[in-house]
Amino acid sequence: MELALRKLFYVMPFLFGIGFIAPLIAQTMAYWDVAAPFGMSRIAFGLMIGAPWGLYAMLRGRWI
Amino acid sequence: MALDGMAGEAHLLAREGAEHDTRARSPGGAAIPLLGPDGLDRHVRRDLRKQEIAVARQFMGGRMWPYVVAAWGCFAVWLSFFPLAVMHWLNLPLAFVLSCIFATGGYVTSHEAMHSNIARPNSRHYWINEWVGKVSTIPIVFPFSMARLMHLEHHYHCNDPQKDPDYSDEAPSALKAWYKTWYNRQPGVDGSIHAYKRILAEMGTPEAAKALRDTLKLQLLFMAVLFAMAWGGYAIEAALIWWLPRHVGLSYIRFYLSWAPHHPREGRTGRYENTKVFKSRLGHVLSMGMETHLVHHLYPNIPNHRTKEAYFALKPILAQRGVDTSSL
Repeated sequence: MELALRKLFYVMPFLFGIGFIAPLIAQTMAYWDVAAPFGMSRIAFGLMIGAPWGLYAMLRGRWI
Repeated sequence: MALDGMAGEAHLLAREGAEHDTRARSPGGAAIPLLGPDGLDRHVRRDLRKQEIAVARQFMGGRMWPYVVAAWGCFAVWLSFFPLAVMHWLNLPLAFVLSCIFATGGYVTSHEAMHSNIARPNSRHYWINEWVGKVSTIPIVFPFSMARLMHLEHHYHCNDPQKDPDYSDEAPSALKAWYKTWYNRQPGVDGSIHAYKRILAEMGTPEAAKALRDTLKLQLLFMAVLFAMAWGGYAIEAALIWWLPRHVGLSYIRFYLSWAPHHPREGRTGRYENTKVFKSRLGHVLSMGMETHLVHHLYPNIPNHRTKEAYFALKPILAQRGVDTSSL
């Protein structure tokens, strides 16, 4: 249980990128009426930013 | 730390005497009492301490119900933001500002509860104290059990680089201190709540284990709420009610409650030097009473709203003890 939780918190930045940052980007774009580039949906664009950003934070230990 | 009754006073005075006696009996020491590091002999120190305790006693306790009303009222209002946001009945900019205030101010009410200043452990109203503490720090995702343990460790080992859990807030300037409040929250940095979790794991006591469990539960709840709201179409609402106010609150708290009153920390572990008296640009209220935080470290049972008044009453004695009182 402890090991599972430890792993969960280790991958949490990645999950945060997918679970929160991606929809936040998509909904912020919708609020300001900004279209996603290359004909993508806003949520796909949000995931394209949020997932790698979260992965970067998970591996590097820093968001920036 | 609490000075309950004459036993507390006698204990404090005895400690002061013992500290001095140890110095006097050191090898090569003189038979007569030696001067302490503040240039005062043991009799003067003991006399000043007696006066200090007598003055401090006048400011302990008082009306604490406003803390209860503030803690529970603000928490209830903050909680109501979530359903109101989902029903589109919320002014989001206003809710954001209020959430930032609740997240920041919640630490003040919780802080009183950490020291059992709202009700003492043997009181039948103690549950009120505990529930003030528990709800106050939920907006900053900082469980009361952890907050209390870490804060008491901070008091016991103030400015000790190894043992003070807040030592990682130290920075050479105010600007760098603001930056560090953010930097310490990064996932791979051993500062802030990450350091607290490590310290709790190292403590190994049942209380520490419970605090660690509470922290994991609250952090998981926080993430679950953010993810559920975000994927349910309320990401902006979740960001403005909880995510951003938490960051604003934590940075403000870290700066004003940790860095400002304790900087510079290095080598300042003594009773009268581990906290400084300072003049805040934002004033006493907006700096959450931290200008006179020294009084809190000397007498944690003096509630936050009375530390300024207590400071001015104690000022002549503190000046004699070597405290720099020039700024206030």
